[in-house]
Parts: sequence; C-alpha cells; structure tokens
Amino acid sequence: MKKLTQQCIALIGAAAIFAVFDYAVYQNVTKRCIDYTSAEMQAKSVEVSEYLPFDPDSKIAAADSQLKLSSHPPVIDGAAGLFPVYSAFVHAVYPEDSVHYDGDQFTAESAMQYTNTRGAYKALAEGTVDVAVLVKPSEAQMQYAEEQGAELEFVPIGYDAFVFLVNSSNPVESLTCEQIRDIYAGDILAWDQVGGKHLLIDAKQRNPGSGSQSAMESFMGGREIHPNPFGALGSAIGFSFRYYVSDLAGSSGIKMLALDGVAPTPEHIADGSYPIVSTFYAVYDKHNPHPDLPVLLEWMQSDEAQKIIADTGYIPCNP
Amino acid sequence: MKDKTFRRLLAAVMIVGSVSSIILVLVTIHMYQNCSILSYIANGR
Repeated sequence: MKKLTQQCIALIGAAAIFAVFDYAVYQNVTKRCIDYTSAEMQAKSVEVSEYLPFDPDSKIAAADSQLKLSSHPPVIDGAAGLFPVYSAFVHAVYPEDSVHYDGDQFTAESAMQYTNTRGAYKALAEGTVDVAVLVKPSEAQMQYAEEQGAELEFVPIGYDAFVFLVNSSNPVESLTCEQIRDIYAGDILAWDQVGGKHLLIDAKQRNPGSGSQSAMESFMGGREIHPNPFGALGSAIGFSFRYYVSDLAGSSGIKMLALDGVAPTPEHIADGSYPIVSTFYAVYDKHNPHPDLPVLLEWMQSDEAQKIIADTGYIPCNP
Repeated sequence: MKDKTFRRLLAAVMIVGSVSSIILVLVTIHMYQNCSILSYIANGR
C-alpha cells in the first residue's frame, strides 16, 4: 500500500511539474501575445475597409478639391498609419473609377495600393508605384532604391510625434530620451532603475524596414539596440507614432510616456516642445515621367491637402 | 501497482508533459516574434 502511495505521488508530482511550467509560460508570455484585434487589423495593421475613398461610410477626412487628375493618375501607396491621409487625398483628387478594391485588397489595375512601408519602398524602387506617403526609409531601403536605379525625393507634407508606450498599470509616466536610449542599448535593464516596479524591462521592437523601426534606429543615433534577453519575463516598453496609437489601433490598456517631462499632445508637437517629431513625406522617384506627378505633389502641399492632414489628426507642415 | 506498469505510466506522463511543454514554448516563441507591439503591451503588466 505504501509503495502504491509513493508511485501515485511520483506520477502526480511529475504531471504537476509540467502543469506548473506550462501555466507559468502561458501566464507570463503566451497570454500577452494574443492579439484581440480584428483579423483585418492583424493582417494589414490598419482597418483598410473602414478608410476607403469614395465610400460614404468611410472614416477618412473626406473633402472635395478643384483639382481632378486624369483617368490614369499616379499610382499611390503608403504606410499603414498614413493610410487615412492618402486615402483622403485619393478621395479629393482622383477619379473614382481609378480605384479598384475587391473587398480584400486593391486590384493590380487600381491607382491606389496599400502595401505598407516595406512594400511601398520596394514598389517605388521598382517603379510599380509613382508616389507613396511614408516616413523616412531605412538604410537598406535607400540602398535597394539606388541598386534599382531610383533616385528618391522626399516632399515633406506633415508630421507626428514618435511615442513610447507602456502598459497603463506601469507607474512610470515620463522618461528622458537618454534613459530610453540606455534601455534599448541594454544599459538599463529594470524598471526600478527609472522609478518603476521591480520588474525587468522588455524593450520591444518592430520588424526591420517598418516605418517606426527606422525612426527608432534614427532616434538611437548610432547606438546598437541590445534589449534584455530575459525581458519577456518583465514589463514591456514599445514605440509607435501617436496618431496610429490614439486613432487607428486603439489605446486601451496602454499609455504614452512623456519625454523629458513633455507629453505627446498635438499642442506640444505643434509648438516643438515634444522632443521627437517625425516628418512624413510624399516620396517619389526623381526620374518618374508621369505627367500628373508634379501637379499631385504641389497639391499635397496646398492648403486643401494640408487641411486634410490636420482633419485626419496629423500635424500639417504648412498649418 | 507493478513496477513495470508504474514505469510505463511515468514514461507516458513524461512524454506527454515534455511534448506539450515543447509545443507551448514553440508556439509562444512564434507568437512573441509576430504579435503587435500594442497588443503585447496592453496584455502585459
């Protein structure tokens, strides 16, 4: 009987060790990686179907313009966070029959495309897109464009704050720019080093070539990014653009940190007191011969287009 | 319980436990590498 009891304890104990391990992994890491946003948001990083041009139910800042482009306007593309901006541009100046959306994606003949930052820079370099609304590219994207013979030009049309994000339960409200660089460089490893809880810092990054990752690499000013390898056991910090967080993706459960004591409000971005502002551009190949391209680029800097940028929620370059 | 039966049961527990833990870890690594920053932060602490 005693032997049977020992055997049962051994079996239950072995099963319990695995159960505790699996439960700890699920609670501490797996559960955090579950994305509760819609399938479209997960696949495309933006609810494209909610921001389409020429749709009466669209959420874009719909406006009309005196300018109407020809029936074969420049093919336009852009970043996820800037989709509402260039969709509103298309709505204002493109012919409606130049845009073709099949319910899931833009068709090949459509003058409006959405391939996000990495796809748009590739398409610009390869000449399949005429103009794209994007933030600055990574070094690899510039190099690829050069290899393809494209000479990219950047026309500034608006800007937004580059923001750092933490869970809303994190007691830290503000960090200095240098503290953030130290966190991503691996010199600060725990939140209690910057006034927070006794938890490791999980410094999250984006995919190489994404707009916010390129902005982060620029912000680091040449310092290598070396996040804490055990950070997944702690509390995360990440980065994005203010409009994307507050208007497109939803900010439930997260908060934006103040930088050097300045919160990323539209007022602080516009008056220049928020320290990291990222410009976005109409990007095109200097050698692109499309006859409507100069007209479109000039219009994007006009009062009409700048008002669309402001009405969307970004800061226009020429307010 | 015979020793042979016990060893078989223990081996079964170890195999099932190991396989499930390995699958969970692999799935978690895949999800960790692909989940959006915003969801990850919002679901965390």
